[in-house]
Amino acid sequence: MSIFQMPTNAIKLMTLLFNGVLVSLQIFFLTLLFSLPLGLLTALGRMSSHKWISYPIRLYILIMRGTPLLLQLIFFYFAPFYMLPPGFRFSLPRFTAAIIAFSLNYAAYFAEIYRGGIESIPVGQYEAAAVLGFTRTQTFFKIILPQVVKRILPPISNEVITLVKDTALVQILGISELFRVAKNESSRIFSTTPLFAAGMFYLFLNWIVTKVFEKAEKKLSYYR
Amino acid sequence: MQILKVENLYKSFAGSGEVVTDVSFEINEGEVIAVIGPSGSGKSTLLRCLTLLERINHGTIKVAGETMVETTPQGRVVYASEEQLRKIRLRLGMVFQNFNLFPHFSVMRNITEAPIYVRGLSPAEAREEAEKLLAKIGLTDKADAYPYQLSGGQSQRVAIARALAMKPDILFFDEPTSALDPELTGEVLKVIRQLAAERMTMLVVTHEMAFARDVADRVIFMDKGQVVEEGTAEQIFGGPENERTRNFLRNFNANHKLD
Repeated sequence: MSIFQMPTNAIKLMTLLFNGVLVSLQIFFLTLLFSLPLGLLTALGRMSSHKWISYPIRLYILIMRGTPLLLQLIFFYFAPFYMLPPGFRFSLPRFTAAIIAFSLNYAAYFAEIYRGGIESIPVGQYEAAAVLGFTRTQTFFKIILPQVVKRILPPISNEVITLVKDTALVQILGISELFRVAKNESSRIFSTTPLFAAGMFYLFLNWIVTKVFEKAEKKLSYYR
Repeated sequence: MQILKVENLYKSFAGSGEVVTDVSFEINEGEVIAVIGPSGSGKSTLLRCLTLLERINHGTIKVAGETMVETTPQGRVVYASEEQLRKIRLRLGMVFQNFNLFPHFSVMRNITEAPIYVRGLSPAEAREEAEKLLAKIGLTDKADAYPYQLSGGQSQRVAIARALAMKPDILFFDEPTSALDPELTGEVLKVIRQLAAERMTMLVVTHEMAFARDVADRVIFMDKGQVVEEGTAEQIFGGPENERTRNFLRNFNANHKLD
């Protein structure tokens, strides 16, 4: 091994992994983009007093939280083709299927976090708002939700950190995200270094996530 | 002018039965009414019915001549339309036992938020009014504080200012000093006395008998969901006619000898 070979290999590996990170990050951000609002809607539906709204949503949450995300990925990729009658069959692109599965899965978890937060707000806050003449929408968005956000930041950060690592699951659909890239490279050069390097990438990403949430919590610490 | 008229009001809860039974009374503009009675006598529930926090099972409530709710001869309870109720709600102010300030808003914003978004004032107008109210309750220096930085007495004074900022025709108080340390009740009662002196129409549910005696034009004694006796403060505290009123006041005085 010449003295110049090491850096070249290292740079090559980093470039390879970096491309994988970009794919992982796309999954990460798209999942958050869809699942955070969807989770809120799901939470509101789950709390609805109409059984024909809340029961199906409870079933949805049960399935999403009760089966492996890995299985859900496979389901959303293959089901549109294999479970529909001929003539209605279609195939989703792998990436789209992965985003749908992730968004629906994380929305279920976020929904329960939102629900816990919303239900922890004292009823007196609603009553004070009602007597002051705020509409229900105003009450929710001005009075309730800001307080909910502060309370749910810690459990949300847990989920977001898990999401960073869960992006590795999309390799089951053959998407070349960080982990798959590292694994393939590892087999090719017969070394565990790429896997270890991938681990460092995940750690680095979650260090950033942790910092972002620390900042957000600090920003909301102006009241108790 | 008659601000509030309540006729044959009944309220019951599934499980706990009838909590308010056949209550009728009126409040005229500028009057201060104290509602007294033992715990669980339905005083707070009555207040919650009057402020639309609970729906009644029977009866009529009119606010400044407008019907909030009435009962048909067939016994059906009919509330006014949502739009009408919104208008009526603007005439009612409420001060809660536990203040219920909005913890994420500063004192200033607690007071200005509803005037801006419900009454439609400009932020500058709302601020100006809020500053006057803060001066009135003696908390000008707390405008930028957050509720967690206030004592209980200060919180309750801010809650009063928040209610007043909506310019209600009548202000309801639900045991406004019951959650306070004894040494803090004075500052809150002082603000209510001041409002009484300005002829603000008020209905105060209270356990502060001395205060009720001083401030109230009329006193309503409730027990087991019913209005047992109603009269001027002198009548009720000086020579109550009903046995239950006499017992309540005698027990109360016995328990508060040291006060």
